Amino acid sequence: MKQAGKRYWRSLDELADSPELRRRVERESPSLASQIWTAASRRDFLKAMGASLALGSLTGCRWPKEKIVPYAHRPEGRVPGKPEQFATAMELAGVARALLVTSYDGRPLKVEGNPEHPESRGASDAYAQASVLELYDPDRSKDVVLRQNRQRIVQTWDQFDAFAKAAFSELRRRGGDGFSVLSEASSSPSLYDMRARLQQALPMMTWYEYEPVSRDNERLGTAMAFGRPCRAHPALDQADVILSLDSDLLMNSPVAVKHAMAFASRRRAEDFRMNRLYVVEPVVSVTGAMADHRCATPSRLVPRFACKLAGELTSDPALGTAADKAALAPLLQQTLPAMPPFFADIVRDLRENRGRSLVVAGPRQNPGVHALAAWLNHVLGNAGKTITYTAEVDPDRPAHVDAMRALVSEMKAGRVDTLLVLGGNPVYNAPADLEFAQQLDRVKTLIRVGLYEDETSLACDWHLPQAHFLESWGDARAYDGTISIVQPLIDPLYDGRTPIEILATALDEEPRRCYDIVRRTFGRLSSAADVEPAWRRALHDGLVEGTRFKPDVPMPLADALSKAIEGIEKEGGGSDASPIEVVFVQDHSVHDGRYANSGWLQEMPDPLTKLTWDNAAAVSPALAREQNLTEGDVVRISCDGTSIEAPVVLLPGQATGSIALPLGYGRRAAGRVGTGVGVDAYNLRPSTAMYTRRADLMKTGRRYPLAATQDHFIIDPVGHEERERRSRELIRELTLAEYKAGPRQLATESARKPRFSLWREHEYEGHRWAMAIDLSVCTGCSACVVACQAENNVPVVGKDQVKRGREMHWIRVDRYFSGDPDSPSISFQPLTCHHCEDAPCEQVCPVGATQHSHEGLNDMVYNRCVGTRYCSNNCPYKVRRFNWFNNLKRLSDFQKMQLNPEVTVRSRGVMEKCTFCVQRINLAKIAAKNDRRALVDGGITPACAQACPTGAIVFGDLNDAESRVAKLHASGRSYALLEELNIKPRTKYLARLRNPAERT
Amino acid sequence: MPSGESRSGFLFPRWTNSVRPLVGAALVITPAYIVALFYFGASPRTTDVGYEPRQPVPYSHALHAGDLGIDCRYCHSTVEVAARAAIPPTQTCMNCHSRIRAQSAKLIPVRESYATGMPIEWVRVHDLPDFVYFNHSAHVRRGVGCVSCHGRIDKMEVVYQAEPLSMGWCLSCHRDPEKRLRPQEYVTRMDWVPFEDQTALGKRLREANNINPSVDCSTCHR
Repeated sequence: MKQAGKRYWRSLDELADSPELRRRVERESPSLASQIWTAASRRDFLKAMGASLALGSLTGCRWPKEKIVPYAHRPEGRVPGKPEQFATAMELAGVARALLVTSYDGRPLKVEGNPEHPESRGASDAYAQASVLELYDPDRSKDVVLRQNRQRIVQTWDQFDAFAKAAFSELRRRGGDGFSVLSEASSSPSLYDMRARLQQALPMMTWYEYEPVSRDNERLGTAMAFGRPCRAHPALDQADVILSLDSDLLMNSPVAVKHAMAFASRRRAEDFRMNRLYVVEPVVSVTGAMADHRCATPSRLVPRFACKLAGELTSDPALGTAADKAALAPLLQQTLPAMPPFFADIVRDLRENRGRSLVVAGPRQNPGVHALAAWLNHVLGNAGKTITYTAEVDPDRPAHVDAMRALVSEMKAGRVDTLLVLGGNPVYNAPADLEFAQQLDRVKTLIRVGLYEDETSLACDWHLPQAHFLESWGDARAYDGTISIVQPLIDPLYDGRTPIEILATALDEEPRRCYDIVRRTFGRLSSAADVEPAWRRALHDGLVEGTRFKPDVPMPLADALSKAIEGIEKEGGGSDASPIEVVFVQDHSVHDGRYANSGWLQEMPDPLTKLTWDNAAAVSPALAREQNLTEGDVVRISCDGTSIEAPVVLLPGQATGSIALPLGYGRRAAGRVGTGVGVDAYNLRPSTAMYTRRADLMKTGRRYPLAATQDHFIIDPVGHEERERRSRELIRELTLAEYKAGPRQLATESARKPRFSLWREHEYEGHRWAMAIDLSVCTGCSACVVACQAENNVPVVGKDQVKRGREMHWIRVDRYFSGDPDSPSISFQPLTCHHCEDAPCEQVCPVGATQHSHEGLNDMVYNRCVGTRYCSNNCPYKVRRFNWFNNLKRLSDFQKMQLNPEVTVRSRGVMEKCTFCVQRINLAKIAAKNDRRALVDGGITPACAQACPTGAIVFGDLNDAESRVAKLHASGRSYALLEELNIKPRTKYLARLRNPAERT
Repeated sequence: MPSGESRSGFLFPRWTNSVRPLVGAALVITPAYIVALFYFGASPRTTDVGYEPRQPVPYSHALHAGDLGIDCRYCHSTVEVAARAAIPPTQTCMNCHSRIRAQSAKLIPVRESYATGMPIEWVRVHDLPDFVYFNHSAHVRRGVGCVSCHGRIDKMEVVYQAEPLSMGWCLSCHRDPEKRLRPQEYVTRMDWVPFEDQTALGKRLREANNINPSVDCSTCHR
């Protein structure tokens, strides 16, 4: 019987039912295909058996003697073995993320968002989750290093201090002539303070700030519109209609967590009302995946689309002045090669929802588009309602690329004698055409402060180890200006210092310690009469009350519109000379390359391509057809004489002719994990085209194996027909209109049939733990994946193992496409162990290693497991993971400090899976019972749910009818996955709601 | 032809007749012996009970907890709030020993630790496998006495393991907690005897304090 409805597919291979994929899934499950002994001879086997026997008999009757090492003087209030939490902040590209870090016996273990902070509310992103791994990274630089005549000489801080004293007293004598600082973006008030002091001592010093990926276009655009650079603060919870012009608000924004939360608040349709999101973008982004209407438009055509829209809107007499209409009139005549089919809907929606709509432009679009967006928000009456503006931290700063250009020309002219590089990694990520690295030879003394001895350090004379934010004092501003104090959770592991301490050394003045400097800045900024209590409060809360920037609604300049149009035309927006463009995108895993050495982030599948351990040029299926490309083909991408070779990944939804190239890979000196992973896209990126560039594409004929997880763990793939039938049942979607029309039977036909259980049903007297996952608000951002990894000691296995389908993540986010491969709808579905009440895994374990608890948890008992893997074979959701190797044994002593002592470290040969964070459940239950109180709903939050920015994952007790999870399970949108198997999963999904415009 | 000889090649010698029952007995007894050897010999009751390692400081619980009657919680102060009943910091020893026996040679490691800040490295006696998560506060706050698991510490000159601490031993109490429950105020009393029938008292305490020890795997393994 042919089923009606949409068809969902996870990859193009699956859509085409390629023989290769079919072969792979037919081996039951790719992870189970034995790879170890295929090449080994009988002799090898006997050798290994002999060795293991000998080792086995050597282990004694009693396990090794253990020592207990108590404190000599225990700090007051410290209870050994009891986790403590401290508020701190992490600065990323000049914006603070407020965090709450859990410390266990003095070791920071787990990072969460700060629930008190308006930009976090307890949620966080994958970068914040993985920051704790960076702290313990054994590749972080440990020594003060002096490079002389290509020799690496390890020095001490005393030696550097002596050198600095002499060098900077000489510079002071010259008034700082020839001294420059190149810093990464920072919002730290203490750093600004130290910088001002240094400027005073060395008046001729020059200071440059560079970030490879920044929001400078927004600054320039708002300056165009308002006469001064502003920060835009869209309020997504206030907007009924949102138009994103190539803006990935929900993932690649400094406040993505806040935006995602605000967006989600309008997607649950509790009162049958929802916002509507239109996205026009060249590459597939997470925001695009959440859109109700999405149009893939090449980057160079997005400005033209914006102009066309502005022209169309002003044809309404109520919008814009006559002068505006005149300015826009010529633009109306322009044509777009691919007009979005929903153009009329956008125009109507924006007109009808004045004051409740929002237009946002993305950082990759040129300043003119930002100015136009600001102007549109003004005429639509949105300014002050769905969008407000605040001042910038540093309104006078030149754009990063201009700063870099200026520094390079100074270096070229021989006017830079001493260069201090604070953080960043300019040798790796400076625009290729400026030849920054080559110009460094003209600088006499190069001093570098960095977390890693990376590409930049290798080109400098002095390398100084920087202290990680979890081991240093500091301060930073959140996006809305709120100051957070960065407080250390541990003493510097590798004897690093902070940039402000280095500046204090350069100044040669007291105080020298970062704590004293930060405390002094706080005292200066604080309005409190008594500073000490205010300081303590700021440390406790993780934010300084009253330091937010004042929101403002500036009036656009009279010539804002004409300037915007001029700006767009200046950038050549709209010409379509070459059909192919390359779009440089910030990577979801490694950011701009700074997290290249993080195994967690490298192994986190990209939300959209599901690629691990690599970057690849994402092309649309249409372009691939045209150029005869298949996934894994290596192509040469050339722009004006320079070229790079990169593997291709096919991504349905890409604009035809737009190639997305993630930055941050191909690092030459990142560390053991990150060096040599992927392709360096910075080689193609000139200062004149930081985000998109015309390119030529040529197939090289070579192939490169990519480790993508998209076809791993396909649910029950027996038979193509069956799969096709099922795919519609795994992901459920409703339009708002359908949802409004009344409760709809979401259960499938087969699931509605009366079922008879072969098993004696369990009875649950106490708690009945369960989970509900709302597909309507899951953005696929994968913060949950990294959070779970941090909480549950989930190992990193490496690219080779991922390729074999042996990744260990306990939670995965499946991504489905539906519809036309060239403009598909995208859906995400996080999948963990479903803790089925009649779990198929429990029934086949020959040693009883997986058992059903009285609260409905599907317990996994590692010490019983002998590794038959029957359970994994019998699991319909494919959420069980097998330890093929002793993955965590290889960790260094530093890395072992990160392991959560509340969770068993699993050994080789053992099956594992999601436990619903049973350690958190047990600790909460014990604490509640110790205090003789009942557990409250929401008192237990698994790591994935805690990290989730949109609150898509809800955990609780089904026996408590008032609990959120019980209500969600009873909701009209809830459905169980593979319900017809009658295994009674404890996780239910809420069908995704879409709100497409109703065509009239 | 010496047919007798060739036939005798097929026969066992006569003396084997007397060995035959012995072999039979051995075949029956040996497996039983091996099973018994492993069952009793490798059981934690044999291998672990009585484990009595030498400690860096000859600290006597018999003296401090027994003769002097210091409450367990004076030193193991975290037992009611945390999973671990933490070994006290050197500071706690010196609260008294800065005045009492301040010159004793036995206390040299304690004074050194106090002066240098370097910890004393005690040897763990009660060592559960790393995949077992035991929580002291959960037991002590429900009225399980210290003595139930640790034995008569107040009589031990050197601490030794008094109970097997095996899974079966844990479960015996989790399945039948009435026998071990006592009023909360007496948990640290080593010589406490119930003033009424233990089963009746246990039942009453169990109901009053809502004690339902779980025997799920995830209670201890996670």
